[in-house]
Amino acid sequence: MRLEKCWFCSSTIYPGHGMMYVRNDAKIFRFCRSKCHKNFKMKRNPRKVKWTKIYRKLHGKELPQDTTFELERKRNRPERYDRNVVEDTVKAMKKISETRVEREAQTLANRMRGKKTQQRREDLAELQQGIHLVKAPTALLEEPSLTLPKEKMKVKVSVEQESKAMES
Amino acid sequence: FVQMRTKLNVADNSGAKIVGCIQAKARKIGGSIGDVIVASVKEAASGKKRIKKFEKESTKVKKGDVVRAVIVRARMQKGRRDGSHIRFDENAVVIINKEGEPVGTRVYGPVAAELRAKKFVKILSLADDV
Repeated sequence: MRLEKCWFCSSTIYPGHGMMYVRNDAKIFRFCRSKCHKNFKMKRNPRKVKWTKIYRKLHGKELPQDTTFELERKRNRPERYDRNVVEDTVKAMKKISETRVEREAQTLANRMRGKKTQQRREDLAELQQGIHLVKAPTALLEEPSLTLPKEKMKVKVSVEQESKAMES
Repeated sequence: FVQMRTKLNVADNSGAKIVGCIQAKARKIGGSIGDVIVASVKEAASGKKRIKKFEKESTKVKKGDVVRAVIVRARMQKGRRDGSHIRFDENAVVIINKEGEPVGTRVYGPVAAELRAKKFVKILSLADDV
């Protein structure tokens, strides 16, 4: 029994799942589910389809090349059974998957760095533009305490707003 | 399913090119990978061309012959015991005689491993790929 990889989305195909398609040139394509199979029939290139692993690795969304993937390489020659080897392999599998999870989390963190501040900035701009949806403009003027949130960052807009509120 | 009138390619060098199924021997609904069918040869090699330097196109089977054949590739998927399914790009047969021996001497293209269960070992051994 062997766990194969889906040709389209690169997920593992467990026994009992999926379809195997053999082309006339004897090239075998395995698919994990009909979604991938149908995409293949549509002649879509998995490198351009956003939800596949290939696309994500190609566009730097996920850990592209790492030593932790070496363990999962396909080996065609069966190894002679050795109890010690099996024991070591099981231990190594655990350790390697742990490190891979850590490294993937790290790549995700790297990718998302600076996202929080950017999000805050965008939210602030949106709030200022659409404040009439939240509170009536007259209410802002009547009650001086109801000002727009002060932002610690040096944003031009908020400073202007503050001075406007102070003036009125 | 391969039914009456289904046209199938011939995957060996018996001389036929295309056969049309007359009857699916295995099931009423039709044949799939590994089943035997009775077919009529629709298109056959003329026997004048040369495939290789020393090999001429064989004419063991002529147009209009009624032959038995086993389906080695089918477009319709076949389920396997482990739950997976397999399907090929075309419908293809290998022409056999009454005993189940292939009439040709070579088999072209990949064949399904389902043939082993049906005891078509000779075809499997001649094939490029399983």
